[in-house]
Amino acid sequence: MNVDLSLLAPEIALAVLGLGILVLGLLIPKGSRHGLGWVTALGLLGVLGLTIAGWDNQGTLYEGIFIVDRYAIFFKITFLTAAFLVTLGCMRYVDEMGDQSEYYSMMLFATLGMMVLASAGDFMTLYLGLELMTIAFIVLVCYRRTETRSVEAGIKYVLLAGMSSAVLLYGLSLVYGVTGSVTIYEVGRAVTTEPVPALILGVAMLVAGLGFKISAVPFHMWTPDVYEGAPTPVTSFLAVGSKAASFAILLRVFIAALPGLWAHWTMLVAILAAVTIIVGNLVAIPQTNIKRLLAYSSIAQAGYILVGLVTASEAGIKGVMFYAFLYVFATIGAFTVVTYFYNVTGSDEIKDYAGLSQRSPLMAAVMVISMLSMAGIPPLAGFVGKFYLFKTIVDNYLWLAFIGLIMSMVSVYYYLRVALVMYRDEPVDHTPISLSGPVALTLIITMMATLVLGIYPGPLSEVVNTAAHSFFLP
Amino acid sequence: MVEFALHHAWLVPLLPALAFVAIIFFTRPWPMLSALTAVAGIVGSFIVSALAAYGVFTNPAFKEEPLVYAVRWFSMPGLQIDVGVQLDPVSAMMIFMVSMVASLIFIYAIGYMKDDPGFSVFFSYVSLFAASMLLLAISSNLLEMFVAWELVGLCSYLLIGFYSHKIAAREAAKKAFITCRIADFGLLLGLLAMQIVFGTLNLVELSEKIANFEQYTTFGILTLIAVLVFIGPIGKSGQFPLHVWLPDAMEGPTPVSALIHAATMVVAGVYLVARTMFLFHEVPGAMELVAITGGFTALFAATIAITQREIKRILAYSTVSQIGYMMLALGVGSMTASLFHMWTHAFFKALMFLGAGSVLHALHHKADVWEMGGLIRKMPLTGWTFVIGGLAIAGIPPFAGFWSKDEILAVTLESGHYVLFVMAAFTAFLTAFYMWRLIFLTFFGEENPENHPHESPAVMTLPLVGLAILSTIGGLVGTPWAPYWSEWIFFGHPHHVEPNYWVMIGSVVLAAAGIYLAYQLYYVDKAKSRARALAQRYNHIYTILYNKYYIDEIYLWFNHTIVDGAAKLFYLFDIYVVDGIIVNGLGKLTCLLGEGIRVSNTGRLQNYALVFFLGVLAVVVLLAFTGPSAASLIVGGVK
Amino acid sequence: MVLSEWTGVLLFFIGGLLVGGGAIVTSYLIHPRRIQAQKYEPYECGVDTIGPTWVQFKTSYFLYALLFVIFDVETIYLYPWAVKFQSLGLFAFIEMIIFLFILIVGLWYAWKEGALEWK
Repeated sequence: MNVDLSLLAPEIALAVLGLGILVLGLLIPKGSRHGLGWVTALGLLGVLGLTIAGWDNQGTLYEGIFIVDRYAIFFKITFLTAAFLVTLGCMRYVDEMGDQSEYYSMMLFATLGMMVLASAGDFMTLYLGLELMTIAFIVLVCYRRTETRSVEAGIKYVLLAGMSSAVLLYGLSLVYGVTGSVTIYEVGRAVTTEPVPALILGVAMLVAGLGFKISAVPFHMWTPDVYEGAPTPVTSFLAVGSKAASFAILLRVFIAALPGLWAHWTMLVAILAAVTIIVGNLVAIPQTNIKRLLAYSSIAQAGYILVGLVTASEAGIKGVMFYAFLYVFATIGAFTVVTYFYNVTGSDEIKDYAGLSQRSPLMAAVMVISMLSMAGIPPLAGFVGKFYLFKTIVDNYLWLAFIGLIMSMVSVYYYLRVALVMYRDEPVDHTPISLSGPVALTLIITMMATLVLGIYPGPLSEVVNTAAHSFFLP
Repeated sequence: MVEFALHHAWLVPLLPALAFVAIIFFTRPWPMLSALTAVAGIVGSFIVSALAAYGVFTNPAFKEEPLVYAVRWFSMPGLQIDVGVQLDPVSAMMIFMVSMVASLIFIYAIGYMKDDPGFSVFFSYVSLFAASMLLLAISSNLLEMFVAWELVGLCSYLLIGFYSHKIAAREAAKKAFITCRIADFGLLLGLLAMQIVFGTLNLVELSEKIANFEQYTTFGILTLIAVLVFIGPIGKSGQFPLHVWLPDAMEGPTPVSALIHAATMVVAGVYLVARTMFLFHEVPGAMELVAITGGFTALFAATIAITQREIKRILAYSTVSQIGYMMLALGVGSMTASLFHMWTHAFFKALMFLGAGSVLHALHHKADVWEMGGLIRKMPLTGWTFVIGGLAIAGIPPFAGFWSKDEILAVTLESGHYVLFVMAAFTAFLTAFYMWRLIFLTFFGEENPENHPHESPAVMTLPLVGLAILSTIGGLVGTPWAPYWSEWIFFGHPHHVEPNYWVMIGSVVLAAAGIYLAYQLYYVDKAKSRARALAQRYNHIYTILYNKYYIDEIYLWFNHTIVDGAAKLFYLFDIYVVDGIIVNGLGKLTCLLGEGIRVSNTGRLQNYALVFFLGVLAVVVLLAFTGPSAASLIVGGVK
Repeated sequence: MVLSEWTGVLLFFIGGLLVGGGAIVTSYLIHPRRIQAQKYEPYECGVDTIGPTWVQFKTSYFLYALLFVIFDVETIYLYPWAVKFQSLGLFAFIEMIIFLFILIVGLWYAWKEGALEWK
């Protein structure tokens, strides 16, 4: 058997890195594991470089069960960037939690799962990647095991994720049963426009199973509780990485395997997107906890991204990829502020953010820029992203674009509420917050990226174009 | 080096912009470091500009073909926007002039703004200001130019209102911003119309397309576009009737006034018209409009200036008047003369504003010229450089202003606009008069015993000297006998104005007469009794002039009665209908909905699981019924 | 018409909901309401519980079970590989070594963290 291992190089490197961190943790005495964060961050940078270097190296492995096209590579770059930024921003938090080596290796395994997911060419690989990611996340979610909230979040995540996995598997097996294949592109050839009911049922299960991962309404119920209870860096990685990976596979399954049924699922996806946007934004309004607020806002963001799937076109794929990438920076920026704020003050309540602009101008600025980007205010990256997404649907789904627009305006309300607290209110405690080096670096990177991608989206747009184009190649 | 500068001209706006970022984020706690950063930024920009200008002015190919390089900024079907750099003689001259004057002003500001609590912030703003103006100058695209134009407006707002503890400064800032916004709206409409009609805002493409505009649109539309575009410069360049903000803009720190009046903001309007000359060239009516606006503003502002008492206010009105000259020259079709006057004006007006700043600095911000006098003895450098500026603006040869003003007069006469020519000539007389009135009152005559002036430090006087030298020799690049200027800066074909000795002699005589009148009234007559008697005798005229034709009051009245009245009506509508029913109602409904749905998130796992499976069920049902069947037709979205 | 084909499914769902929900609703409607303290006991009949009802198990059980599963899976993979060792060749051999190595790292980790000690 002849296998081109260079295609697998990033995954192999990441697996070795994850195991290496675990082994390092065993070798280094407990008190002196602070350096592991840096090892992880640098290792991730290395893997990121390896992935980027493989941009022109496309191909499939094992008769199509593992696809390495630019689409997958772009998503891998997204995950690795996210993992790098999260690692950089969370070192102090992790040091305070303890058990660094397990934490970092779990994060790396979760990233590995995402990468496998992005490259999945058949249902088995898909499931493998999904579970690798999910199980690693389950461990991470209840990492603060002495805190009931964290444990509660963990239990909820285990049970509900298990449930959704079951549904997903059921759906996959139904599709397999009807088409006789588990390879995505073969399924795509087998599925015709006139479906049998079993196939429709299978598609419904797939929507539910993957909808759970991207926290689309009505499969979103776990999101606020888990996001709130999980350690904040995990939350941000969950919001960014897990979501982006699930979108990667969602697009792959629906556009490559089920294009024959497009006429059947397009309206469903449009409705799901609309409901998700509406519910996410509306429920975010009364929240008082910043993590819950961001959780609901991330639900709404999932709705926006889902819009890109509706037309199943290259433009839609492009929109999803672009948005997923810029969403990394906005979300991690906001969550890093939350993480660090929690480290300093021990609070996640919005009212405690009063006067943050005076205590740490950078943190307040990053928070506002991230949130305004999520709300889609020009000239920030979010605006361009939403523009690309909604441009694909204005012809046939004007109502959806309209809902997106209105709800974006609603979202400005609750985002600005946070900004108001930070900028208008007088702080209770006037001590300035001094930022540690890596955190400041993370914040500056995310802020600059959000600004630059908004002001000058041209180059990224070109990259995404070629990546989206590769999707239709095999 | 020159090649590098030519192909990296984007560094010109970028360096001050970087200085802005660096000061805001890093060096703000250290004032001196911030100032040095700003100066380094602008001087670096000046060096690049100078090299680029050298490259342009030694290669005649640039006359035919500008050097354009751009990157795709934004693209979607039907709309592609590039941002880039366009280097040709006009823009090269502009960036050279702006960065040079701005460099001197920056250095001067180190001394002037010393001990100001907002020292670092000031330097960050002026850096951004210079960056925006330089970007405006080298833009290859009107949209890019518009962005820079708005940035200039924003910076002027920040800087005019820099002493935000002063009510007058706040008011002036608002006035400047709002007046310019009104004008910008016209410009924006013009740009939109151009984008729609011609499908591009790229300068090079536009100039080709507008030359054959019949293929795209009618003459009427083109006229409308030209008029709309011209509204922007009316506001930004302080032309009648939107000139009201400019004199108030002197509330900002003096270096800012110098920047606004000499090098950056107000000439932006002239520059924009010069840049879009291909548009105005096609529309004779619009050209007339430009010429008449310019000529009228020149005279109008000059008449106001002769009665004003505050030193910076006189200078401000003189700026309005001089910009009027530039517009006049554009309107009669001579971009060459217009930009030449802009070039010389930048030097002597910056010089005089900085000189005025030096005076104010010495007199602790006592601004009334009647309370000054004899300052030249205590402040020789400031005084004598100011005198050079006065000679330049009055149009005494061989100082810079003479050549450019003379050329404007000559082209106006040559184009056959006799009324405008007479107005312009009379303005020249008035200019010499009020400027020398200012000089005699301030620097000569008896000293006011209440004042204890002292010469300003070298960091302030050296830029004055530099500008004085430029004001002296700056006009020699375009004398009728050595017309380098008109060989390079022109629209269409280079146009040599034949030396018109009658105009030349006439303008010198007029200027000398103005100076002589001022000499008699304000220097020889120590008690100024004749001046007072004149003011007494023509009391009505004096009052009208002193109150600037009551334009501000008219605007205020208009705002208070008509606009406020309408606003009140709309307010009531807003409160009761829009706010009461639509906004609050919707807002409340939204919040209620949010609350309602939030309750569903109970935190109980069983419920979550239940919702999940109900969701699966709902999806199945939806899938079954939203396929290519009846239900989807209702909601829409069939391929 | 797709709609008519699916009407059966819809009717099935509605019927299922009616049967399931109907039973609950009916019992709720017709059941006698006699509220007594005993009603709130976990079991209405039988003997009262003595002592805490929440019995805690040692997590070591769980850990052992997990470790057992790991080696169980290992054996499952090793067995067919060993049978077909000759024909699979070097590549499979290296793959198996890597697989074993990963498992050994896991075991090492568990050991080091004290999962093998009964406390």
